[in-house]
Amino acid sequence: MAHIQDLLTAIGLEPDRAQMFNMSAAMASAFVTVAQEMTERIARLGPNPLRGPLDTLTDSERGE
Amino acid sequence: MIVAEQKSLDEIKSLIGDAERVLVVGCGTCVTVCFAGGAREAAIVAASLRMATKLDGNGKDVTDVTVQRQCEWEYLDEIAEQIEGADLVLSLGCGIGVQAIAEHFPRKWVVPGLNTSFMGLPTEQGVWAERCAACGDCVLGLTGGICPIARCSKSLLNGPCGGSEGGHCEINPDIPCAWQLIYDRLSALGKLDLLMAIQPPKNWKTSRDGGPRKIVRDDLRLGAEEE
Repeated sequence: MAHIQDLLTAIGLEPDRAQMFNMSAAMASAFVTVAQEMTERIARLGPNPLRGPLDTLTDSERGE
Repeated sequence: MIVAEQKSLDEIKSLIGDAERVLVVGCGTCVTVCFAGGAREAAIVAASLRMATKLDGNGKDVTDVTVQRQCEWEYLDEIAEQIEGADLVLSLGCGIGVQAIAEHFPRKWVVPGLNTSFMGLPTEQGVWAERCAACGDCVLGLTGGICPIARCSKSLLNGPCGGSEGGHCEINPDIPCAWQLIYDRLSALGKLDLLMAIQPPKNWKTSRDGGPRKIVRDDLRLGAEEE
């Protein structure tokens, strides 16, 4: 994971955009916690500068 | 194997300069095994360059391809069309691969994406260590299979020197003293008498001291039968 974050930094992206969390399938509340944490972090960082603002993306780029 | 490390993305970007169409060429042999320039690394470098140059405001057309061996013309012929279509080739092969492309495609600009480090082996996962210096006159038969040229910091042939302390080299305690290793191995195998034999001075002409080296095998050359 550290290697990926270094790579993102070299590319010019924020390393915090990628993170790995380890947990078992039985750790639902932990999953919710880290999902919220990542959602807040990504919202704080803003849209991926490689893809542009949300309203400029196609449906498939938005994952729809 | 030949062991290499990737250059930083910044240095690679600087080497690429203003080329618009870049072909990243991986190699399927040594640098694949040491995780520096195989198909996976070529794809990652190409994707990284696409992203980095787009963020810089000058997105480049970066594609990648990997051949079995960059150091043989036949394998380079397979990607001749892709190479001709690129402004610049970024080789993720060792220094031999870079030069093979440059020599085979004289009009194409090729730059290295790796720093070729040494000939060695993985001593554990993620760790590679030098083992051979290609001196051209192998002495491993006298030293118990441990190379004093590659593994002694001074390449001594009559070591150990005064800098050997507790089996380690004075330049770095993480480096084992090659001559301590040689002595211990010969001792364990009951062959210490090998160290007592007087050896003539080593002929360094077979190493780099004799200039660029070349091997010609007439028995293998095409047309040798007819000559």
